[in-house]
Amino acid sequence: MYKQWSVDLNSDAKLMPKQVESSLQPNGEKTSPISVILVSSGSRGNKLLFRYPFQRVSENTSSATSKQRSPYVLNTSGDSVEDQDGDSREQTPLTDEQLVAGFSDSILATILATKSDMCGKKFELKIDNVRFVGHPTLLQPPHTIQANADASVINCMHNLSRRIAIALQHEERRCQYLTREAKLMLAVQDEVTTMTETDGTPQSPFRQILPKCKLARDLKEAYDSLCTTGVVRLHINNWLEVSFCLPHKIHRVGGKHIPPEALERSLKAIRPYHALLLLDNEKALLAQLPLDCSPALVRLIKTCSAVKNLQQLAQDADLALLQVFQIAAHLVYWGKAIIIYPLCENNVYMLSPHANICIYSPLAEQFALQFPGHDLPSMLAKFSLPVSLSEFRNPLDAPVHEAQLIQMVVWMLQHRLLFQLHTYVCLMVLPVEEEPGLWEEEPPLVTRVTGRSLSTPSALSFGSPTSSDDMTLTSPSMDNSSAELQTGGDSPLNKRMTETLLASLTEHERQAILRVPAAQNPEDLRLFARLLHYFRGHHHLEEIMYNENMSRSQLKTLFDKFRSVLVITNHEDPIISLFQSPPD
Amino acid sequence: MGSYRRIDCIFFSEFHPTLGPKITYQVPEEYISRELFDTVQVYIITKPELQNKLITVTAMEKKLIGCPVCIEHKKYSRNALLFNLGLVCDARTKTCALEPIVKKLSGYLTTLELESGFISNEESKQKLLPILSTLLEELNVTGACTLPIDDSNTIHLKLIEQRKDPLVVQEYDVPVFTKNKDHFIKSQWDLTTQQILPFVDGYRHIQKISAEADVELNLVRIAVQNLLYYEVVTLVSIFQYSNVYCTTPKVQNLIDKKCLQEECIHYVSKLGQRTNLRDVFQLYCGLTPGTTVRDLCSRYSHQLQRVDERKLIQFGLMKGLIRRLQKYPVKVVRDERSRPPRLYTGCHSYDEICCKTGMSYKELDERLENDPNIVVCWK
Repeated sequence: MYKQWSVDLNSDAKLMPKQVESSLQPNGEKTSPISVILVSSGSRGNKLLFRYPFQRVSENTSSATSKQRSPYVLNTSGDSVEDQDGDSREQTPLTDEQLVAGFSDSILATILATKSDMCGKKFELKIDNVRFVGHPTLLQPPHTIQANADASVINCMHNLSRRIAIALQHEERRCQYLTREAKLMLAVQDEVTTMTETDGTPQSPFRQILPKCKLARDLKEAYDSLCTTGVVRLHINNWLEVSFCLPHKIHRVGGKHIPPEALERSLKAIRPYHALLLLDNEKALLAQLPLDCSPALVRLIKTCSAVKNLQQLAQDADLALLQVFQIAAHLVYWGKAIIIYPLCENNVYMLSPHANICIYSPLAEQFALQFPGHDLPSMLAKFSLPVSLSEFRNPLDAPVHEAQLIQMVVWMLQHRLLFQLHTYVCLMVLPVEEEPGLWEEEPPLVTRVTGRSLSTPSALSFGSPTSSDDMTLTSPSMDNSSAELQTGGDSPLNKRMTETLLASLTEHERQAILRVPAAQNPEDLRLFARLLHYFRGHHHLEEIMYNENMSRSQLKTLFDKFRSVLVITNHEDPIISLFQSPPD
Repeated sequence: MGSYRRIDCIFFSEFHPTLGPKITYQVPEEYISRELFDTVQVYIITKPELQNKLITVTAMEKKLIGCPVCIEHKKYSRNALLFNLGLVCDARTKTCALEPIVKKLSGYLTTLELESGFISNEESKQKLLPILSTLLEELNVTGACTLPIDDSNTIHLKLIEQRKDPLVVQEYDVPVFTKNKDHFIKSQWDLTTQQILPFVDGYRHIQKISAEADVELNLVRIAVQNLLYYEVVTLVSIFQYSNVYCTTPKVQNLIDKKCLQEECIHYVSKLGQRTNLRDVFQLYCGLTPGTTVRDLCSRYSHQLQRVDERKLIQFGLMKGLIRRLQKYPVKVVRDERSRPPRLYTGCHSYDEICCKTGMSYKELDERLENDPNIVVCWK
């Protein structure tokens, strides 16, 4: 492929594979690059075009030798994940100089200018403590990363390399952008070399390149952004936009990052009854969007609210449900929103175990600024025991005050200080009467769910066509079973249905259920049988309410009637709790 | 060792005075294609700047790990001997544990060459081929290899599993064995560990172990951290009847996983008795914010007839079925003149404060209850 390129290009600057590499920063920060390097390989040999941060030319014989870290020192970075090679140890902190300074410009040029065979694929090279990641094509920005980087961080870096490469490739084809920039860089380097020879004062050529060369500035910006916010937005040649985010930097909870795979799994499990909570205010978020972004995104941001579930949001914003799911997932991935259960009176919240409740935390300050007269720890103390929104608000307060309390709850949710508790139900009957010798053979006392699949559609499958399943949720009253069973009384059809549903249980379980006094009432028994498949502890009350179009009180009454065969517990929803707490 | 760290090929490469960089020996034969070697040779026989560095290069679905060596001496043609003994694995292999082996091998060969010209002598060099074969087989099968090279030299190699750095151990943490204590040959552990072992019972916290075993606190912490590293123990919190716990989503694992059910019933049942899943599950679900263990005992006395509540809590914590709700006092109102709070900042739990100050929970409670400027958060 590159052979084709060499024909198009200027004959004296036959640009072959270039590499821009980035290296990850030392001092335990495993998700930041150490440097960004641009290397070219051409008819004039291998050349290092640009690197950032600059190498200090004066040889700082740093007496700061790498401290042998005591294994008992507090692990502050918290990112003890396995790296690509399975190394999960903490890196001993070394300064930039020691790590990448060890590599002179010329050696970098040699090792990073790969052969054509390696073009078009991910390039990865590890030398002692430094890892180089890039995408050899025409113009691959290799990134040098600390050797212990998580495999997914490496993949993300590679992704960025590739995107920059593609943009540069495009601009090269259109207007020889890269050739021009490379010429500039080499010219400045030559200039500085001659100056050094005459003056004798060593200077870094790369520092001189920066003001003259847009590409160099872009690479510097990419590096800086990756190290700080994890969000990169460049305009290559002031024309093509390259945007990228490093989820590892954005999704950090409690000092640990949420791995992208876990994030993606959670996103696929979103349901229409969930809601989207923006983490920034609407104006700030809209200001961050690029000019040519989709109007659907803008509409969605303007319409979304903490009390509206995704289904309602779709209706209000006049968008298809699937589209709403996709946009929501996008916003979550970019760290601009999280998924919650929509706010309502009966929601029960509790303090998250990972919440920072220190009085000196920056959160406390922000809260005080936002809500003068209130302090965060006192508010948080109120959620020490699970409290519902209705309890939290005092109905005797003025409405203005009430509104402010809701705002505070939203604020606390946005900053991951609270999570919501849901009720989960599990069928569990009394064991077989003990008889000597029978202990070892106790039957598993758990409901087996067979046959009947849930009416909930599988939530989100990216890119798949809208299936009719997704659409049934728009009108839950279309649920067949409830329509049928509403034909009252003891009709043989209903009776048979109940029997079928109960057939998935063991004889013992069936008997136990039938012994409950409430089972004498056919309506109650029917309802119980119909909801049986939810009683495995994996579906919370609100989900059952939504799927079966029932009210909270209806369900609670049923649970109460059959309490001798049910066990109830409250805890957070594991699907969306990912956004509140780091995974194990 | 399995395919987890399977070595596909071991090769010996050197710079031939006339032919340039080449692979002299490789086991299995012809494993590294001409194409692959051409692509990566610059990383195998390298420029001086890269010598003696561990280099891992990924290309064409393979990972090559090597450590290029250069020995300079007038006696060599071109005044230097350049070679590299490396390993080849699949690109997805986690090769970190192989790195020390490569480094060690390069060191061994360097020594052999300096002492007896092992590599530059054509005759002795041929011994490399069977050495490579043995290495490949033994490292893949047993993860260890002992090779006598000649009369005075033997190579010892072992693949060491890399583990995560363990958490810091606090003085109020309680270590509990994850496996049966008796499974371990105690004489294999260091003296400090042996001394504290009898006191590691899943109920004593670090400070208490230190006091009763008469071992300095930091030594106990280090010893327990060591046990943590090898996953022999895990940490739980101090048990008191006034403690409050609540369930986590993982409690559903007790419903889903049959083996966990068995393990649990076995662990929590009182001696000579056997409880049932329903009782255990009800007990765990009975743990809620605001409910102390004492409350649980009175409410569920029937279920607790056959269950040891301390073991119940222990098992629940070890498997993540429940979590402890700790109390954190926070001083929210203070006048400008008073000192800033040191312990009542919201960063220190009751466990920690009591451990550090020697107060009991009751004493601390009494002290704080009467202070209107302090709120308590549970999390």
